[in-house]
Amino acid sequence: MDREQVRVRLTKVFRDVFDDDSIEISDKTTADDIEAWDSLEHIALISAVERAFKMRFATKEVSGMKNVGEMISIIAERAKK
Amino acid sequence: MIFSSLVFLYLFLPLCLLFYFLVKSTKGKNGVLIVFSLLFYSWGEPVRILFLLLSAVVNYFLGIGAAPTREELKRGDDTPSVRRKVFLALGLVFNIGMIGVFKYSKFIVTNINGIFGASLPVPNIEPVIGISFYTFQILSYVVDCYWEKVEPQRKFTKLLLYISLFPQLIAGPIVRYSTIADEIDNRRVTLSDFSEGFSRLVLGLAKKVILADNLFNIVDQFFGKDVGALTMAGTWYSVILYSLYIYFDFSGYSDMAIGMGRMFGFHFNENFNHPYLCKDVTEFWQRWHISLGSFFRDYLLPIPVFGVRNKYTSLFLVWLCTGIWHGANWNYIIWGLYYGAFIMLETAIGKKRMAKIPIVIRHIYSKLVIIVGFGIFYFEDLGDLGKFLRNLTPANPNGFSSGIEAMSLVNNLFLVIAAIICTFPLLNLVKKFSLRSQNTKAVVSVAGTLVSAGLLVLSSILLVNATANAFLYYKFG
Repeated sequence: MDREQVRVRLTKVFRDVFDDDSIEISDKTTADDIEAWDSLEHIALISAVERAFKMRFATKEVSGMKNVGEMISIIAERAKK
Repeated sequence: MIFSSLVFLYLFLPLCLLFYFLVKSTKGKNGVLIVFSLLFYSWGEPVRILFLLLSAVVNYFLGIGAAPTREELKRGDDTPSVRRKVFLALGLVFNIGMIGVFKYSKFIVTNINGIFGASLPVPNIEPVIGISFYTFQILSYVVDCYWEKVEPQRKFTKLLLYISLFPQLIAGPIVRYSTIADEIDNRRVTLSDFSEGFSRLVLGLAKKVILADNLFNIVDQFFGKDVGALTMAGTWYSVILYSLYIYFDFSGYSDMAIGMGRMFGFHFNENFNHPYLCKDVTEFWQRWHISLGSFFRDYLLPIPVFGVRNKYTSLFLVWLCTGIWHGANWNYIIWGLYYGAFIMLETAIGKKRMAKIPIVIRHIYSKLVIIVGFGIFYFEDLGDLGKFLRNLTPANPNGFSSGIEAMSLVNNLFLVIAAIICTFPLLNLVKKFSLRSQNTKAVVSVAGTLVSAGLLVLSSILLVNATANAFLYYKFG
C-alpha cells in the first residue's frame, strides 16, 4: 500500500471517528486542525485506525505522533511487512 | 519548610538568592540550588532526604539504561532492545513501588485485613512529603528516555538538580525534564524575569495567606464540627467556601513555585488556568492541576487496557489513578471515579451536542459537580461523607437554615466577594490595558509594584500572627 492509498483510506476513518464528512487530511494535518481531535478522541482514532488497517501502534507512537504524515508513514511501513 | 512562613520568606529565600547571584557560573548556581534544595527538603525531618537521593541515584541509571546507546542510535533500531525494556520495567516497578510503599501500604494492608478478616501487621510507615510529585517527575523522565523524547542526563548532579529543585519539589507543578533540560545548562535571569517572578511569588503568597487561610478558618467552623448537625444552607455554604479555599491554596502554591522558578531563570509550565470559568467538567480538568492531567494524558491514556484501546476504558483507568494518586483513602477513589463518570457522560453526549446546551445551564451544572466533588474530597471518613451528601439535599434533618451561616456570610462578606472576584482572570484585563499605550504601561508597572509591595506587607503581618498553615497539597505529596 503506498502513502496515497493509505491517505485515502485514512480519510474515511477520520470522517467516521470525527463524524464530519468534510474532513480532508494531508501529511501536515495535526490535531490543531480538527476541532474534535483532542487527547481522548485521539485514542478513539488510534483504535479505529488499528481496526481499519489491521495493525498495532506502539504506546510510544500513540503518545508521540506529531502529524498525519507520521501516522501514514507508520501504517505504510507496517503494511509492507 | 513551608513557602508561606516567615523563616522561608525572610531567611531561606533571601540567603539562597544572595548566594545564587554572588556565584557567576551556571555550574556554581546549580550547586547553590542543589545545596539549598536539599536543605529545604530535609528541614525538620532530615531522614526523608535519603529517599530523594535514593530515587535520584536509581533513576539516573534507569534513565541511561532505558535510552538507546550511541550504537543503537547509529543502527537506527526500530524496536527497543530487551535491555531498554528491562530498564523501563524496572523504572516503573521502582517508582510506582516507592509511592506504593510510602503512601499506600498502610491503606492496602488495613483493607485486606478488613475485607478478608486477616490480621496482617499494619506497617507503620509515615508518608514521605512530596514523594508523589517528585516520583511522577522522575518517572516521566525515565519513560521519555525510553521513548527517545529526551536524551538521558549523564551528569548526576544535573539530574539531581532537576528532581530536587525546591520551588517545585513538594507540591508541583509536575515539571517534565524536557521543560527545563536546556535551562539546567543555559539560563540567565533578566531583570524582567526576576521582577515578574517576584510579583508572581507575592501573588501566590497573598492567595494563600489572605484568601485561602481565612476561607479555611470559616470552613473549619462548620466542617470541623459535626457535619451531621449542619443545615442544608450551612452545608452548601461551607462546601462552596471550601472549593474556593482549595483553589487559592493550591494555585497559590503553584504561583509561588512558578514565580521562584522565574527568579532563578527557570520557566516551569503553568498549573492552573482559571478553572472556575469552565463550561463543563472536561474543561475544568484542562484548567485545574494541568501538570497532573497532562501527565496522565501522555503516559496513561495511550496504554491499552487488557490489550484493547478504547476511550471509555482509558478514561476509567485515568480517573481511578487520579483518585488513588490523591491519597490512600476510599473518598479519593470515589472522587476520582465521580469525575470519571461525568467526563464519560460528557464524552458520550459529544462536544457538538454539549455546545448546544445553553451556556448558563452548563456553568451551573459544572460548578455543582465541582463543588459537590470537593465535598467528597474533604471527607475522608465515609460516614461523615454520607452525612454531608444527605445534608446537601432536602432530606437534611436539621432544616434549611439556622441563621448561623447567614451571620457568617455577613461577617465575612468582603472576603467571600473578594475570593469570588479573584477566580476571574483579572490580571489578563490589566495586561490588556497596559498594552494600550506607553502611558498605560507605565501606570500599570508602577501600580503593579505598589500592589505587590502592599500584598507582601499585608501577608507578612498576617503570617506574624498566624500559626503556620501548611499547603493542603502537601498532604497529597
